[in-house]
Amino acid sequence: MFDLSDVVGHVRDGMLPAHIYNDSEVFAAERETVFARSWVFLAHESEIPQAGDYVVRRVMENSFIVSRANDGAVHAMFNMCLHRGMQVCRAEQGNASHFRCPYHGWSYRNDGRIVGLPFHREAYGGEAGFNKRGQRLLPAPAMDTVNGLIFVSLDPDAPPLREFLGDFAFYLDYYTRQSPSGVEVLGPQRWRIKANWKIGAENFAGDMYHTPQTHASVVEIGLFREPKAEKRKDGTTYWATGGGGTTYKLPPGTLEERLRYVGYPDEMIDRMKRVWSAEQLDLIGRDGFMVSAASIVPNLSLVHNWPRVADSDDVLPFVSLRQWQPISENETEVLSWFLVDKEAPEDFKALSYKAYLMCFGSSGMFEQDDVENWVSLTATAGGTMAQRLLLNGRMGLLPDGSTIVPPLGRDAWAGPGESRVGYGEYNQRHLMNRWADLIEAGPLRPAGVSVGTPGRDGAR
Amino acid sequence: MTARVPVSSADSPLGGRATQAAPVGDPLPFSAPLHLAAHQWLVEETYLLDRQDLEEWLARMTEDVHYFMPIRVTTSQGAGYDTARRMAHFDEDLYSLGRRVARLRTEHAWTEDPPSRLRHHLSNVRTFATDVPGEILVESAVLLFRSRGDVNEPSLVSAGRSDVLRSVGGAWRLARRHITVDESVLRTQNLAVFL
Repeated sequence: MFDLSDVVGHVRDGMLPAHIYNDSEVFAAERETVFARSWVFLAHESEIPQAGDYVVRRVMENSFIVSRANDGAVHAMFNMCLHRGMQVCRAEQGNASHFRCPYHGWSYRNDGRIVGLPFHREAYGGEAGFNKRGQRLLPAPAMDTVNGLIFVSLDPDAPPLREFLGDFAFYLDYYTRQSPSGVEVLGPQRWRIKANWKIGAENFAGDMYHTPQTHASVVEIGLFREPKAEKRKDGTTYWATGGGGTTYKLPPGTLEERLRYVGYPDEMIDRMKRVWSAEQLDLIGRDGFMVSAASIVPNLSLVHNWPRVADSDDVLPFVSLRQWQPISENETEVLSWFLVDKEAPEDFKALSYKAYLMCFGSSGMFEQDDVENWVSLTATAGGTMAQRLLLNGRMGLLPDGSTIVPPLGRDAWAGPGESRVGYGEYNQRHLMNRWADLIEAGPLRPAGVSVGTPGRDGAR
Repeated sequence: MTARVPVSSADSPLGGRATQAAPVGDPLPFSAPLHLAAHQWLVEETYLLDRQDLEEWLARMTEDVHYFMPIRVTTSQGAGYDTARRMAHFDEDLYSLGRRVARLRTEHAWTEDPPSRLRHHLSNVRTFATDVPGEILVESAVLLFRSRGDVNEPSLVSAGRSDVLRSVGGAWRLARRHITVDESVLRTQNLAVFL
């Protein structure tokens, strides 16, 4: 039908073959490359605070149990019985010391170790036939955490998570480390949209340009203090290694005044001043920027905003984390969590939750209009005409590759990476270039793992 | 239909002002005037919601209404809960419901322009007296059919509802709605519509 290397070439040029947003062949390639090689978010440690707590989450179709074992350690285990492949856990959350497979009764401790194998001696001849000692549910090939966020990679040789995220870790702190205790993560709301997964990731990465149009209604009803959504062009888009996002420009003032402007109470500001670096504080206090939406490669996004939550002039900030979980080339499950600092006052937590529900998530007023557009886009991208159209994703670039706006200097942007004021699709191109890198890296072909009988491994 | 652990406004950080009315005794006979009044109220409401006459719908709420639709989760039989205690699809008061309606009335609420074709199918209605004077509790099932455009499949949302109606100046007003949605993963693109 088409040559994937042509697709990659166009993407690198900032010209997007429209069919990549609804194409089964592209999706098949993404499954074997993008989602086989990246670090993918599964859960936050605060979702499983007690020993035995677990949640079940997926990387593409791959189901993982993320559990806290009795010793407090977190495990991510492939949710498939080693015997006949049944899911050993069919709930999505709970607390369990063991998982027992309903098919033949094999059972596993909450750290994955086999503890029960019915008729081991009679059926297998004991350890000689099936060596159960030391066997465990297949662990995720790689697992690591940052600020309590648990990521896995299906690539055992993936670079370390810190390297994958790189300089984005600087910005992740604004959302997930506002005090030494970090955040608690509530949810997720889950719903399916008939849209390709990349659209949300690109939008959150850098699309300040859609705000005045897509979200005009939210501004009109007075949900925000700024009377005009065009204010977005005074903000920046920044990219930093594994992710990037957008910022708003705050009115003049000190660090404290600017944090109060978005609705943080003084006791939270005091804690931010203790945990954030001088550079992290300067980005707000000196440079006057506040983070808003962001995306991490490939399919995790964040958002921070500060609407009115009652009939008054006060605003209140909220943070959301969301994952664009691919179902098919034209369907995505959205998992959307609400995040709040663990040390925040209870009334702040309650109103921040209200702010989140009003703006984002399954009923959120921003999200509603976003999804309507993405569903419509995806449906149109599925036809043969879309295979001819190269969408222009070069905003901010001149034909010779130079940019219409230079990046901010160190005196105006205290953070790492590259940041520019105004509208531009720099971040969408960064994200899609990383996508292209992963597509070009090709499928992973891991060796098979055999269980129980030595010498039966084999390459796939 | 109903959650194994009933939905409670106390599970919401925003539910503190909600009425705490609880049902008393068996469901009222279907011939009871209170049941007939409650049933008629719900039927009239489906017509308002289907034609998105949302200002009139809002006018039928009390000032302290709590409109609450917690997340449904898949848990094992012994877990003792199947709704998330601290996350919801809707957790609304009159202010936030009012903002949602006001937004849909702007010229830029793309998600409902063109509007969805909606049909709220109402059934399984039963009514209880409560321990609060002037308040009755009415339970129902609702199946929302939603069709948009001409390309995508229509969507369904199935839910149970437990409502408290309060008599205010001779008219019934919705003081509390608990919605028990029957899916853990919604199959509708958003909740720009009400249940």
